[in-house]
Amino acid sequence: MTDTTELITIPGNWNFDYTYFAGEAASRFFAALKESQQIMGARCPSCQRVLVPARSFCDACFKRTTDWVPVGPEGTLETFTIITAAFPGLPKPPVVIAYVTLDGADTALVNMVNGLDLTDIGAAAAKLQGQPRVRVKFVDEPEGRITDISFELTPAG
Amino acid sequence: MPIYIEGVALEISFADARRNLSELIFDTVRASVDDSGREMGEIDSVVLAAHDLVDGRSLSSMVSAPAAGAYLRDEIRFSDDGAAAFAAAMTRLEAGDNQRSIVAAWGRSSEHDPDAFSRALFDPCMTRPLGLDEFMLSAMRAQLCLGGDGVPEAHERAVTRRGDAAGRNPRALQAGGFTSAPHFPLAAGDMPLWADITVSMVLSTQPTAIRVAGMGQSSEPYLFGDRPLRTIRSLSEAADRALTEAGVPGSAVDVAEVDGLTLIDEALGLEAVGLAAPGEGMLRLADDPRANPSGGGASGYSRPTMGLLRIAEAVLQLRGQAGPVQLDGVRTALASGSSTVAGQTQTVIVLEAA
Amino acid sequence: MKSRMAVVGVGQTSYKRAHTELSSADMIWEAAEKALDDAAMDISAIDAIVMGVAPDALAGENGVEKTAIFGAGKPYVRVNTGGVTGSSAAFAGASYVGSGRAKVALVISLERMGQATTSQQVFNTIFDPVYEKDFPLTTITMAALRASMLMRVYGYRERDWAEIASRNYRSALKNPLAHIHKDLSPEDILESPMLAWPIHRFEACPMSEGACALVLAEENSVGDRNPAWLQGMASTSDAYAMGDRFHRPEGSLVDLLSLRRSAERAYADAGVTDARKDIDAVELYTAFSSAEAMTYPALGFCEPEDGPRFLQEQFTDLSLPAFNPSGGPQAANPVSATAMVRIAEAALQVRGMAGERQVPDVRRAVATGQGGATQFSTVCVLGTERPE
Repeated sequence: MTDTTELITIPGNWNFDYTYFAGEAASRFFAALKESQQIMGARCPSCQRVLVPARSFCDACFKRTTDWVPVGPEGTLETFTIITAAFPGLPKPPVVIAYVTLDGADTALVNMVNGLDLTDIGAAAAKLQGQPRVRVKFVDEPEGRITDISFELTPAG
Repeated sequence: MPIYIEGVALEISFADARRNLSELIFDTVRASVDDSGREMGEIDSVVLAAHDLVDGRSLSSMVSAPAAGAYLRDEIRFSDDGAAAFAAAMTRLEAGDNQRSIVAAWGRSSEHDPDAFSRALFDPCMTRPLGLDEFMLSAMRAQLCLGGDGVPEAHERAVTRRGDAAGRNPRALQAGGFTSAPHFPLAAGDMPLWADITVSMVLSTQPTAIRVAGMGQSSEPYLFGDRPLRTIRSLSEAADRALTEAGVPGSAVDVAEVDGLTLIDEALGLEAVGLAAPGEGMLRLADDPRANPSGGGASGYSRPTMGLLRIAEAVLQLRGQAGPVQLDGVRTALASGSSTVAGQTQTVIVLEAA
Repeated sequence: MKSRMAVVGVGQTSYKRAHTELSSADMIWEAAEKALDDAAMDISAIDAIVMGVAPDALAGENGVEKTAIFGAGKPYVRVNTGGVTGSSAAFAGASYVGSGRAKVALVISLERMGQATTSQQVFNTIFDPVYEKDFPLTTITMAALRASMLMRVYGYRERDWAEIASRNYRSALKNPLAHIHKDLSPEDILESPMLAWPIHRFEACPMSEGACALVLAEENSVGDRNPAWLQGMASTSDAYAMGDRFHRPEGSLVDLLSLRRSAERAYADAGVTDARKDIDAVELYTAFSSAEAMTYPALGFCEPEDGPRFLQEQFTDLSLPAFNPSGGPQAANPVSATAMVRIAEAALQVRGMAGERQVPDVRRAVATGQGGATQFSTVCVLGTERPE
């Protein structure tokens, strides 16, 4: 190839459409959110963990789960981050996401944390590092999606 | 070191909204482990065949591998044909790296668009702008191969026979599914039935009734125009290797489950593995009960499960568990799997009743 | 690991944002050709080829590895395990050699993300469409969630993350293949924009393209070539959901259980009993500088609570292993290939072929691989001594 060869680029598009089946377990989890404002976990008969969101099998024991139990509505914030840079398609910063272990659950659930003063990021981070108690907040009109809920610090937290 | 098959399970369904992909996988893998009579604690390897563009997410094995038993195990995923994953699992056991492995593959045609998937296989510079897909390549091959004496009549009989087998195979998809539009000279009866497929096996070095007697693999150039078109060279080479290792000629196997995207590819596949003389693949597919008794692609098809499904059907034949499509006296079986693009790489497995 | 084999050839393209003059097939060829030249072998000597290509969406080419089949007629399979693809592919090649079905295997990994205009959105599709898609879960926030936990649990400071990053960039100045050649101090890094607390922009990795290849030969095919013997290889997969990894007795989110388990098995095979003394160089798959902290206890370098002190000791105690002499993924992160690049760099160190970035007297080097949200971990131990 000589130096005078023009390098060609070809524009392209990568658009694939999918239909994801959420399945009965997830559908039931969402129905509980929408209809009874409950967050459900499922117990593994082998390790006895209550897995949240409730699901049909435990991957660690490779067994089907049995009972479904409600968890929360309060819990402990395990870890967090404060997003300060903008990403296409995601909520405008600054936003806080965190993993929260709801009371009665053995796994943590991820969601946004609202109601924090984010004018001083360092101060907000220091507060969240204290693993505050949080509670689940439902939107006024739940749709049966994970976005029906979010977290906020409890008055004590 | 001989490898044995301890457990097998497969499910062909379509758009079962009660289960998400992970649940579908769990059900089949769990069933294969139950079938093996082994405990999860005895399994130390998980080898998977799955494709991000089929599953609808990048690195889809993050969520699906644990559903296939990968938790705290040595797991690897191939975005390649299911029979290639089977071969890779064999190498792990033969190398002594692992003792017992799950091999699983899946694809839900009800969740993705198989034609869009196929078009995206073509390189953006030379072939994708033409809107090529793998069915077009199969059609061009068919054009070359369907003109021989007696071939059109044999073709009609092969289509009928394939449909009958799929109708009698209890594992085949009986309702739902869909087919892609055929390109001339392909017709509806040549096309695979897109379905949701999960298939899983347990392999180990502990003797069972089913032994892997031979394994062979090969490959061809990417551009279709670089390949010989009347024959599937990579499949011939792979079959040669597997059959030599097994010490069996292709014509002597009791059952051959040969993978092909279309019925034409299945017919050419029979020639490539030595079950049919050159030019006689279609006759063989029409008249020989040993050829794809499961109904092949008509019983249900999804990338990238292809070859693993064919191996599973062969295993059931060897065990006498194939039901209404069972052949008599099956002691050796050959199964093959072809990859994208249009069968560019091939894996052949020869199995024996031990 | 039962059989004895060695890396006898290494080939790498340079790593940069986009190789505009190369097609994907060209990049695969270049790495493979360099590895074969290094091994003084012809393609005819290769018995099996394993390709490693991670998300197809980054290249925008489905099955891009199929475009460059050479020496057709050989077994040819493709691995996709996300970030750990490069090492999974190497291990799969090692299985072919170990099984006896191949005397020599060629393993290649390609990253073609220079063709993507929206790579971050592609990365975001790794998350669960049912439960996670609506949240800003990204590879960056995944790392940030861990970084904040490491600070709370083990007392790491923001400055620690910057010091690790600075060390990486400065090492990369000696690596002509690296993508980023910038002499950044910890202060420069702390001044870079915050992406997600506590992670700053220069503590994250670049988007790089490139290809890497290795030639693996069983012992009787090594001849008088310069080998890096594969002394130990192990791979472990963890649970998917990060939320599932907080409270289990096996290990929490920051305990990097899958890496620890892989290290235990690989070290056992390699005869490594004291990581600090037995290992001379470490190439870590840490796309974010903070992730390095999780590797210290998992790789046996110290107890978890001593991590911050171990980090400081690196800068003063020359008897400790050298970390990321190539600059690591911060200086170049061709995702599909990065884990293989770690093995390649470790092999170069062991073979004394690392040029200006050579660490003196390397007898044993470790290369790690990570995929998913540290869900998949691999450990590879290479050394000058042929295993027993």
